[in-house]
Amino acid sequence: MSWFNIKGITNPLTALGQVAKKPHTIRFPYEEKPAAERYRGLHYNDIDYCIGCGNCAEICMNKAIDMVPVEGIEPKKGDSGLRPRIDNGRCCWCGLCVDVCPTGSLSLTREYIFVSPNPEDFLWMPGISNPDGKDKRSWRSNDLNFSINTYEREKMPMLDPKERVKSFAEVVLGYEEDQARREAQRCLSCGLCTEACPEHMHIPEYINAIAWGADDDSLRIIYDNNPLPETCGKVCTRRCEEVCALAKRGEPVAIRWLKRYATERALNADEIKEIVNPPIAPKNGKTVGVIGAGPAGLTVGYYLALRGFDVEIYERNSRAGGMTMYGIPKYRLPLESLDKQIEYMKKVGVKFHFNTEVGKDISFDEIYQKYDAVFIGVGLQDAWKLGIEGEDADGVWSAIHFLRRVNEGERIDVGNRVVVVGGGNTAIDASRVSRRLGAEVIMLYRRRKQDMPADWEEIEDAEAEGVQIWTQGIPVKVITDEQGKVKALRYVKAEMVPDPRGGRPRPVPIEGSETDIECTTVIAAIGQSADYSFLPEKYHDKVKMNRGRIIVNEWGQTDDPKIFAGGDAVNRVADAISAIADGYRAVKGIVRLLLGEEALKQK
Amino acid sequence: MRKQKTTTIYLGPQHPGITGNMMVKLEVDGDTIVKAETHIGYLHRGFEKLMERRNWLQSFTIVCRICVPEPDPNEENYARGVEEIEGREVPEKARWIRMLVLELARIQAYLLWYGGQSASVGLYTIGQWSIGDRNYVLDLFEELTGGRVYHMYIWPGGVRRDLPKGFKDRVYKVMDYIEKRLDDYDRLLFDNAIFQKRAQGVGYIPPEKAIEWGVVGPPLRATGTKSDVRIDEPYEFYDQVEFVVPDFYKTSDVWARALVRRFEIRQAINIVRQVLDKMPEKGPVWNKIPNPHKWRIPRGDAYVKTESARGEFGYYVVSDGSQFPRRVHVRGPAYVHGITLLEKILVGQNISDVSMIMNSLGTCPPEMER
Amino acid sequence: MADLQKENLLLEVLKNHFNDKIFDLKVQRHQRVHLRTTTEQIEAVLLYLKEKLGYKHLSHISCVDWIEENRFELVYILWHPEDKINVLVKVDVDRLNPVAPNIDYIWPQANTYEREMREMFGIQFPGLVGRKELILEDWDDLPPMRRDFDTLQYVMENFEFRSGREDAQNVRETIAKRTGEEIPEFAKKYSR
Repeated sequence: MSWFNIKGITNPLTALGQVAKKPHTIRFPYEEKPAAERYRGLHYNDIDYCIGCGNCAEICMNKAIDMVPVEGIEPKKGDSGLRPRIDNGRCCWCGLCVDVCPTGSLSLTREYIFVSPNPEDFLWMPGISNPDGKDKRSWRSNDLNFSINTYEREKMPMLDPKERVKSFAEVVLGYEEDQARREAQRCLSCGLCTEACPEHMHIPEYINAIAWGADDDSLRIIYDNNPLPETCGKVCTRRCEEVCALAKRGEPVAIRWLKRYATERALNADEIKEIVNPPIAPKNGKTVGVIGAGPAGLTVGYYLALRGFDVEIYERNSRAGGMTMYGIPKYRLPLESLDKQIEYMKKVGVKFHFNTEVGKDISFDEIYQKYDAVFIGVGLQDAWKLGIEGEDADGVWSAIHFLRRVNEGERIDVGNRVVVVGGGNTAIDASRVSRRLGAEVIMLYRRRKQDMPADWEEIEDAEAEGVQIWTQGIPVKVITDEQGKVKALRYVKAEMVPDPRGGRPRPVPIEGSETDIECTTVIAAIGQSADYSFLPEKYHDKVKMNRGRIIVNEWGQTDDPKIFAGGDAVNRVADAISAIADGYRAVKGIVRLLLGEEALKQK
Repeated sequence: MRKQKTTTIYLGPQHPGITGNMMVKLEVDGDTIVKAETHIGYLHRGFEKLMERRNWLQSFTIVCRICVPEPDPNEENYARGVEEIEGREVPEKARWIRMLVLELARIQAYLLWYGGQSASVGLYTIGQWSIGDRNYVLDLFEELTGGRVYHMYIWPGGVRRDLPKGFKDRVYKVMDYIEKRLDDYDRLLFDNAIFQKRAQGVGYIPPEKAIEWGVVGPPLRATGTKSDVRIDEPYEFYDQVEFVVPDFYKTSDVWARALVRRFEIRQAINIVRQVLDKMPEKGPVWNKIPNPHKWRIPRGDAYVKTESARGEFGYYVVSDGSQFPRRVHVRGPAYVHGITLLEKILVGQNISDVSMIMNSLGTCPPEMER
Repeated sequence: MADLQKENLLLEVLKNHFNDKIFDLKVQRHQRVHLRTTTEQIEAVLLYLKEKLGYKHLSHISCVDWIEENRFELVYILWHPEDKINVLVKVDVDRLNPVAPNIDYIWPQANTYEREMREMFGIQFPGLVGRKELILEDWDDLPPMRRDFDTLQYVMENFEFRSGREDAQNVRETIAKRTGEEIPEFAKKYSR
């Protein structure tokens, strides 16, 4: 280098050339530069859309998010009533809370300046403290591909529809281990489902146990308050899945199938006993009689037996299970599965008297005298009638009697064309059974397909098996041939008229639209009712009824303190899990009655 | 002969000439340093410990904070470490986007370095320019990742969001602009007699010792060694882009290290353009991970490294099979540069050159003290 | 994938030289080799790798606390600038008596790493020169990077939380309370 570097002096002076240029840092007059479209600024929460699952609080690695109750937001099924509150002093704006939000209600905004001299002001209820954030939402999880939650359910292996109709083999094959683990991993463990479950099963816990590979623990947790988990794992109406946080934008966690997976790990009653290994209290000398071995009665039997009671269950039929045995077709709930669970109950100490009809083989009085408490779980045994001409013809069935006969092993000749009237799960069952008996099946429903009370998956399965669903048709007459056998079903088409009172639209017959469907069998599946003829007159003022249902208090108790009731005969839902919930409630009621409040607290 | 007396001077922890919160304790004889000792511990962080209590996904939000000026190599390392242990595939487009982010990060880190290096010799104009221009890159980051400094964008399995519409065009535009500006910087910094006089022959690292002493990145390349993780152990698609690793500056002083960086920022701009050209238009950018609370990584370990603007950035990630990392140990280039190396090469230097030497080594206390 | 010829060759050379003094040799992947040795042998192995085989660059020394197995695992990560191979040399150190040889005469920067491990894990390196304190200051508690040092407990004991957040609720507990669900004790570890 030379001693004097002329370029080294002059070149830097070129900077002077910038003097006249517009500066690129500050604009004058001031121009606002909005933050980018995905800027991660202050939070905003769509309060009405949020369900308070707390997943944001869970993922926050700074523990900046609290879940707190908010005025004006009532807790309900599927909504904890809590909303996130953010300590902006701790937040690092990573946006993970947004990416894990199952509903997409939480987002970050373009707003990023907030100044206050008061430290308390930095505790924010997003969406409530900044309602104007709604228009400034920037970092969102609209695209489910970028949400951390997995919204697609693990596909359940099933029999091919063509194979299904050939036999009564179980249609659903059950998850393999790795599938179950993956499906269980999807669960956010928020617990919203437990509120929707009538029995309040410990769903997040047993799913987590499956996710961690602890199948035994999972089964133990399930048996904590459900004595028929395998039944539920196969046929539960799963209202839990309706409120699943993931269901807001995707498919809910397959809670039912996971329960099924856990229960199927135990292959027989001995294995259940070995795994669950419940502590059985020493005999306390109290006795309880149970009428009806349906889910409600079995629940009472199982949990009271564990608590040291002597329980005897009286069942009219030759097998336990009630409607789950005689009402649910075997391709959904195989006999072996039910037997396994009943066998386990026997091992725990529940006693059964089969083929013993109360009111005929043994009088109600006798039971009432013999036991310290009585539980009535008789369910709904009679079917509603269609109330149309020709209903008594040969070839007209009520669905529950039809299913019952089939489940007892009888092979009923339904001919080649069956019309099933109704749109509920029983109607679907009757239809799918008829398909398996070799007939062409038409389901006739008064309203539209979206109004059908049956399980959506069941409807799809039925259609896959070839059941035709005819909607907006009201049966008016069964047409018979000379021998009094069904020849056809006459029905009228209906149009849907909006209910002026705001209810669901009603079907109104269209005049002159009568049509005949030729068929060999008609199955009516429009509802069931109870038969209380076993109950002598003198109990009627204590065991009160309302529209065919027994009225009980919060402990499942009737006005006669000794008589408890539950199951379909009590609740209006008529499914297994509600019956189990009723039974469990009665268990607490009976323990309270016979052992006192104190005993209730010990478990 | 009179016994020499030395004076002790504490440079930092709060000192404008120091690249962060650290302190160099200097023993000086007149203006000449006879002994230097680095003291760290002023940041109070302990991220590596924090990660033991956070799950694999939550930890991802911590790692970027290990280095303020250039967080992306950390994210990249962490993500790649996790993916390697788990065997998780990364979609092709995501890997191109990662390269884009890494190179943009390199550009903005070098722009920041321009500021620091020139300010350390008293030339402030260029720093104001380059840091102003750096904001254009940060604008791009803001648009792509939602954050300007901490991007939290590269995560296990891919990247967090796809490119916004029209993003590529804006990147080209900013690249063209910065490339043009680099000539201005040259005239102001590299042509400048002051910088030439100050930088040449200062902060010498003996080239034959450099590798042994753990020197990496631009300081190592300034000794004439061709060493760059991007070609030595190519990650992502660095084997599919063309760039030159400078091994022709051999003087191994502050001046050479500055020239290396001057050369490399142009290479980085070049790589960005190649990446944009080669990146597929469509395709997934994330291989979804399971529920983070239940996401377990099989037992195993991986040492992954990335070439950051300051050299080899390594992560030693260990999993014990649970949903929490067993250990994430960070090897920042500054950990070696700023302590043992700095202590060695400061001896005999003039006290006024300390901050210049530190800048040229890329000393960064946040990554010494994870 | 690239062939692993170089990596396998390296293993061969090492095996021939050290016989049974090194074990668990494996090629983890392209450009990365693992091996394990003992504290007695570590200096010899590292010196051999550096002086004879050209693994001149010490990338990193890491330490993992395997508390369940009662050992610290030191990991020396070396790099060959020409062959371009990472070698991870692992050494187990007894957790109750954590002593490992000082290697800062081989690589000067090892000094910092060892000081860090001394401070964070309490591993002693006889002959290690350097200030006792690297990052911590006046620390007389358990070395903080050990697994049995509970960060949360430390925070609880030494720091205050801000007020105004006590009303936070746990979603799961709130729902369970509302519905009267009794979660059994043994199941609670599976709650979130």
